Amino acid sequence: MRIGEIVETTSTGFVAESFTLNRPPPLGSLVAVSLPAQDMEIYAVVAYGQTVGLDPGRRAVRRSTEIVFDEAIYHEHPELKHILRTEFGAVLVGYLAEGQVWQHLPPQPPPLHFSVQTVETGELRRFTDHLLYFRLLLSYNGPVSPLQVLAANVREVYRQRGSDRAWLDVAAREIATLLKNDHEALLTVLYAIDPGEASAIAERRGQL
Amino acid sequence: MPLKLGAVSEQIEHMAQAMAALSPAQEQFLEQAQALLRSIPADALRLKLEQQRQRQVRFPWLVATPHGSLCGAILAHPAPVDFCVIGVDASSVPPDRHRSVRFYVLNVGYAALTYGRYADAVLDAESQLYFRDEDLYLFPEKRDVPIEGTLLNARMEVESLQTLQEVIQHRAHRSSGERPPIVALRDGPLILWTLQSEPQEVQDKLLYGFLQAMSSLRQSGIPLAGYISYTDSRDVANSLRVWICQESPNECEHCKNSKRDLCLALAKIRDRDLFNFLATGERSELFASSSQILERYGEHRVDFFYLNVGGEIVRVEVPHWVSADAEWLSLLHAVIYDQSRRSPGFPPYPPALLEAHEQAVITTTERRLIEEMVERALGLHGQSVLRSAKDDSKRRRGI
Amino acid sequence: MSNKRLGVVVDGAFNSGLTVRLDPGVTTEQLRIGSFVVVEGQRNRYFSLISDIHLKATDPRLLSDPPRATSPFIAHTLSGTSTYATVEVRPMLMLEKPDESDPRALLEMRRGPQPVKTIPIHFAELREATELDFATVFGKEGGVYFAMGTPLTMDIPICLNLAHFVERSDGIFGQSGTGKSFLARLVICGVIKSKVAVNLIFDMHDEYAFDKQTEDGRWVKGLRQIFGPQVLIYSLDEELARRSGRNADVTLKIGLNQIEEADVILLSEELNLRQTAEATIGLLRDHFRGQWLLKLLQMTQEELEEWCKNSGAHAGAASSLQRNLKRLQRQEYIVEEAPFAALDDMIESLDRGKHVILQFGRHNSVLDYLLVSNLVTRRVRQRYEEKTRRYEESKNPKDKPRPLMITIEEAHKFLNPAVARQTTFGIIAREMRKYNVTLLVIDQRPSSIDPEVMSQLGTRITGKLTEERDIDAVLTGVSNRNALRGALESLDTRQEVLIMGHAVPMPISLRTRQYDEAFYQAMGAPEASQGPEIGIRDLFGED
Repeated sequence: MRIGEIVETTSTGFVAESFTLNRPPPLGSLVAVSLPAQDMEIYAVVAYGQTVGLDPGRRAVRRSTEIVFDEAIYHEHPELKHILRTEFGAVLVGYLAEGQVWQHLPPQPPPLHFSVQTVETGELRRFTDHLLYFRLLLSYNGPVSPLQVLAANVREVYRQRGSDRAWLDVAAREIATLLKNDHEALLTVLYAIDPGEASAIAERRGQL
Repeated sequence: MPLKLGAVSEQIEHMAQAMAALSPAQEQFLEQAQALLRSIPADALRLKLEQQRQRQVRFPWLVATPHGSLCGAILAHPAPVDFCVIGVDASSVPPDRHRSVRFYVLNVGYAALTYGRYADAVLDAESQLYFRDEDLYLFPEKRDVPIEGTLLNARMEVESLQTLQEVIQHRAHRSSGERPPIVALRDGPLILWTLQSEPQEVQDKLLYGFLQAMSSLRQSGIPLAGYISYTDSRDVANSLRVWICQESPNECEHCKNSKRDLCLALAKIRDRDLFNFLATGERSELFASSSQILERYGEHRVDFFYLNVGGEIVRVEVPHWVSADAEWLSLLHAVIYDQSRRSPGFPPYPPALLEAHEQAVITTTERRLIEEMVERALGLHGQSVLRSAKDDSKRRRGI
Repeated sequence: MSNKRLGVVVDGAFNSGLTVRLDPGVTTEQLRIGSFVVVEGQRNRYFSLISDIHLKATDPRLLSDPPRATSPFIAHTLSGTSTYATVEVRPMLMLEKPDESDPRALLEMRRGPQPVKTIPIHFAELREATELDFATVFGKEGGVYFAMGTPLTMDIPICLNLAHFVERSDGIFGQSGTGKSFLARLVICGVIKSKVAVNLIFDMHDEYAFDKQTEDGRWVKGLRQIFGPQVLIYSLDEELARRSGRNADVTLKIGLNQIEEADVILLSEELNLRQTAEATIGLLRDHFRGQWLLKLLQMTQEELEEWCKNSGAHAGAASSLQRNLKRLQRQEYIVEEAPFAALDDMIESLDRGKHVILQFGRHNSVLDYLLVSNLVTRRVRQRYEEKTRRYEESKNPKDKPRPLMITIEEAHKFLNPAVARQTTFGIIAREMRKYNVTLLVIDQRPSSIDPEVMSQLGTRITGKLTEERDIDAVLTGVSNRNALRGALESLDTRQEVLIMGHAVPMPISLRTRQYDEAFYQAMGAPEASQGPEIGIRDLFGED
């Protein structure tokens, strides 16, 4: 499904304008850019999202009243949908070429104005079976700390893989290895991806 | 930094002090003026203004002829459930005499905001580069009267209305079934008084398109209004001065009138202060403008009223075919007040005009960009780009 | 066959061993100090011991600020990654791997494990030892390979090379309650079964010959019940000879004429002898030769004074010596004069391949034990010296004395530094290997044994020891002391032993095998269903 269009692109990531206002793809989710000419699929992880005025000089002001608030504001001010834009940044984490998944930066940045698409579960599984791309996520510098982007990605993939606990354990160990020299950073990520007791119980029940 | 900010800030302080000192006296005169407004019978004033005009007394000021009571206040009706406001605004990259090629760019922005059950918005702009002789000169065959300055502004107004007209036609073309009421707003006056000093053939050329567009709107059944925020006009105040003037209004130096002080004070009072008694949402009665250019407007002769949009008294100019139609006038009043309610800022400003402005505006970066694009295109076609020495030095700012 | 990977080599030195980082998921608790592991090098397989276990963290901040209220998920993730364990591994032996690309090399007889000459490089894999590894190193059960037990973590027999075992003197140590005599019985059974040596056992507490109740209430068979008439039972106690079903074959008497100066000196402590005793005995011997003790004990007060005057001995000292030595005379098994024939018969039995257990019965004081053991052993030693000389002259294989293993308990009484130089046991421990006589010393205080003797011990089998001095003593002259110390300290009190030395290729911790019906049968004992009476009847029938 097409969800946005690339409006800024570099070798390490891109910024895309979301097709839905205020609803960029989930932080950490895997998205793809198709390059049919090169028979290539570039993968990226959503690293931040923001909704701002179309014109960087215009600041949002309060528009709510006692009776008009939240979603109703958009109804009362139909122009808002046209002067606001929701964009999201994504870090390149690999690509699919010649039938093989590579988890390093693609040779070229994805072309400007190309569509950003969601990644369906089978493809996501295939890509996330390898975790080398965590390194690319950690080296990314953006508005959201790379640790939080990584954590969000793990949560998102864990969810999309159907609460795959085995995958989560492997991912957590990979992260522990990558952040072995920074205990605080490691805990930050682990706290953020801890599925908690509920999941453990659910899993046990599932096994029974 | 050659600007001596230190000196300026000192003078700013003096100015503020002078303003503060003036205020209580102003306040007093304003009360007197408003009392006058309440006391003058509209018919008598109309009569006096008419007599003066017939006597060919040329007023040194613009005066307003009241259609109704001077101090009347009419509350806005609620806006209809479904309606549409189309705002239009324009800006330009004027021709640059320092450049070897002569061209200008007009950018007309518009915002069509539909409220109610089918809430929607269309925000866009029509941009156009003009470089042919027929665009650059009002009389191209003679390469005479270059379009710049006042003329360019007038040209822009014409383009604005034409664009508005096109947008509406386009929408009418698309939409089928029952159309919600539409109101057209433009930023600024409908009275193109800047053309007043131009020769008649110049006025004819420019006004033709403008009035054509207004006629179309009238045919499409769309009321049009010019929205003037923070107006400096004194038309009504001036009428009060005419009322109290015993002699010829051109001979003030010799005036021995007992109300001379009030008369002189009125010269400093703006209509927006005079009408500050209007409650939020209330408008004044209609007035006819005495602007000379209007004599060429025919059926589109402009009337105006003042309106408290909440936080500001604005002037709204409408063609006579709108002011004469009670329903349209009421719709216009309701919609403009509704717009002010929806304004994100304070004092309020109609979102339709705000967004139209946003669409119309040409940023410095864009101006630079246009310049570069022109240069590049000319370069590709083997045209060297020469700039005047002055322009060049401004750009380089070499030390 | 399990081939479980434990970790990879990350550091090391030939002199100090290898450091292995444990894989995530391998917990330190599944490893034991001293356990047998294998490092797979590129060319060699290294049979190694775990000598130490360390806990580490990749970020030292983790140690100063451990996560609070950690969820199981985080704990699970951190362990083995941010927090991990390393083990120190000591390669003990190495085995060259055949080059599988070279068929000739595969066909060649594989050489057995060799001493370690190098170490593997980084990332060599550490794994649990497999059955094949154990068999490669410790040999397959059978012949001189006698299964002593199983590794602590596995159910595979670990063998002692008994031929090597009896080549030198050996020791069995362990604090009380670790089952030393049970261990000794096990080893002796092996020696009997494999016929690598004959045994002479000084059985102070009557533990070896017949069935005996263990601490947990089980009855376990004695050697006589397992091996029948191959085992002869001598006794000092006449009552034992009269006991039905478990009677001794021969009652031994000791003549005063057989007791020598050295025997008495050995008993100094037990007899409260003074410093002067040795000098006095010297004078007596000069005067009365072999009859000195008998004469001394027969002398009246006046005769003694008279003798002192003549010989220049100190009267008080002589009188005190006489008084103290009269204790010997009062022992039931002491007679004025006994022939050496009985002892020589015993030695001949040994020479015929019989095994002898000397029971002390009621006479089980330290005094009895020291006196008789030393006296008997001296005779044995003399006879073995003679036999060996004869063999050396004749070079006739028939004359070659059978290897003899003498088992003594409370060994420190004979082998403490003060007396070890004089007692026959001390001499045997130090030099008797050449006469084919070795000792199996059993003791709970190895630190009391002369270090020189300790260092001569070929194989040491030790149960748990807690005294620092005892641990040091047991490890005297052993390389990789630190690794083995850890292994020793971590043994369970019961059934777990560390074996090191001549009879095993490398030290190893074991759970000792069960001394049960299956064992008896493996040793060739008659079926249990026949009952002990029948067993003993058979035994006599054959005699």
